[in-house]
Amino acid sequence: MNTLTKYLHHTQLLLVGVIFGANIVVLLLFFLLSSVLQISSGLALGISIACAATLAVFSGLLVGGAVSAAARTLWQAIMHISPDQHGEPAPSKTVRLGQELIAEATAQLYAASTSSAVATPTVATIQPQTPTAPAQTSTPLETFAATNIPLPVFVLGSDKSVVFANPAALQYLQKDKESVVAQNVYDVLDFSFTGDNTLDAWLATVAVNNVTATSSWQRVRINQPHNQPVKYCDLAAYYNKDNPSKLETILVLFDKTDTYAQVESDISFVAMSVHELRTPLTVLRGFIEAFQEELGGQLNPQMNSFMEKMQATAQQLTAFVNNILNVARVDDDQLELRLHEGNWQQILSGALVNLELRARVHGIQITHTIAPNLPTVGVDRLSIQEVINNLVDNAIKYSGQGKQIAIDVHLNKEGQVETTIQDHGPGMEPEIMSHLFTKFYRNHRNRSQVSGTGLGLYISKAIIDAHGGTIWVTSKPGEGSTFGFSLVPYTQLAEELKNSDNGEIVRGAHGWIKNHSLYRR
Amino acid sequence: MDAQSNPQPAQQPQPTPSPQTAAPATGNGRKILCAEDEHFIGELYSRALSKAGYQPTWVVDGAEALAKARSDEFDIILLDLMMPSMTGMEVLAALRDPSKSQPIRAKIVIATNLDQRADIRAKIESQADGYIIKADLTPSELVGILDTIT
Repeated sequence: MNTLTKYLHHTQLLLVGVIFGANIVVLLLFFLLSSVLQISSGLALGISIACAATLAVFSGLLVGGAVSAAARTLWQAIMHISPDQHGEPAPSKTVRLGQELIAEATAQLYAASTSSAVATPTVATIQPQTPTAPAQTSTPLETFAATNIPLPVFVLGSDKSVVFANPAALQYLQKDKESVVAQNVYDVLDFSFTGDNTLDAWLATVAVNNVTATSSWQRVRINQPHNQPVKYCDLAAYYNKDNPSKLETILVLFDKTDTYAQVESDISFVAMSVHELRTPLTVLRGFIEAFQEELGGQLNPQMNSFMEKMQATAQQLTAFVNNILNVARVDDDQLELRLHEGNWQQILSGALVNLELRARVHGIQITHTIAPNLPTVGVDRLSIQEVINNLVDNAIKYSGQGKQIAIDVHLNKEGQVETTIQDHGPGMEPEIMSHLFTKFYRNHRNRSQVSGTGLGLYISKAIIDAHGGTIWVTSKPGEGSTFGFSLVPYTQLAEELKNSDNGEIVRGAHGWIKNHSLYRR
Repeated sequence: MDAQSNPQPAQQPQPTPSPQTAAPATGNGRKILCAEDEHFIGELYSRALSKAGYQPTWVVDGAEALAKARSDEFDIILLDLMMPSMTGMEVLAALRDPSKSQPIRAKIVIATNLDQRADIRAKIESQADGYIIKADLTPSELVGILDTIT
């Protein structure tokens, strides 16, 4: 049973069914009577015609009733879920279903409008506004569908080109009809989704598995060209493979820009807190450096070590503040990575300068072995340094009596650049390891001995995932732990890069996934 | 932490070489306008820039920064975002709007501790020549980055 049927008035369907059934019973009864009671064939014919006429009237009522019910339901649903513009708020649980219902009801209305036979004047009576489009070129239903659905509606053909876009859609995108109709939908609507389930992925699935299907997505971003502010919407789609009028997919957009988008002046609590933490950190790091510059040659070894400890601690705190910010971004689906070609040895060495100082003040030495002739990798430099920071910081924290951290970089079996960070600390029980990459998880047995928040591995996994790599850990109690992650060679990204505008690939960390990279070939 | 905060000019997204390699007196007398309302940071930056051979001019207020920038006597403008009287974004917008300001030759580097959403940051970056997070850099590391701006 599809969504629409669920929403149609059950009583109305029941009534129509009863009337329809009753007619057939009456017809059979009269035929029975005519044969049994020997009524003349002329009279029997007359009764039959009368019954057929009655049937036709009721059939008309059936169609008209269903269509007007669909239209009425559609209008009610629009008012139900777009309370800001059209009426009272809806309970949030029903919003998704309601959005899918609207897509489906719109599809049926639009399909009905393409065959004028089912046009019925009853629709006009439920219009809250007078239609503005010229009536002579379209049916009342088409007029209704085109002008009175206040939501942007796109109808797509089986080649994913836009067959129809209503005036609300054109107005929403601020485009004219020519730049929308007959264009590929992804050229018209540059969507970004909050997960792997993009519109394109869904269409690919339903094209194989379904005849009809509905789905909806929330918090969809519509990227706008030339620095225009992005729009955000919820999206509902209705798919019908065998639609005779070749209207395969209907998209309905529910604008949520006000809800989802922050205006530029709107700075989040996290961003503001981070700003307030960073300002004194900048000052501390600056004056520590000034001291080192002025006193560098004159300090005795103990004073020098004090200075390095201050320097390392200020760095560590700065890195932690960056972690807070990144976790907030991941949770809010706003971590966006920009992958560029990068020399991994150079990036890693740059990141290790500060980390070697941090290790040194704890009496730990970092050694590294980097295989020669590694391919360049596709990497977001800012983010990947957070990963190195977190993994090495953890190794420092959990090294215990083991005073060596070994970093090894090599090409793995899959041809990816793999980096491992091995400590010689106490190691972990297997049951702990599966939880390590979840937020706020920490090794309970070590909680009293080692400080930390359990954010570092969570954010590291999100960042590595977004790079298309994998992150993993091996450990045995008493034998230390090894964390590793892989990065994809830049050449393997060439396919994606062909379609990017400026040589960069934009990725989300289980955040925004560009629809683009998934559909263009 | 060094390369992490290298400025990423809009047309040239690859970070510049590590500031660790920066040699002293690299400024060659270039003039830098430093708009920074936090006094300790302004003091640190002025000191580091002077030591490296730059000629810094330090202002603590957005409107003053805009007035000075319009004089077009600077090679580099280091622009904080959160400042009194005018935000750095407003200063930047005014400097890049042909109806409000003559074009200036200075390279503009946003120096802030405020992290923005990626799309807002991208918009700022498209109008500026670099964007750095101050906390991620010591003053000498910042100088190392400015040395690479030509």
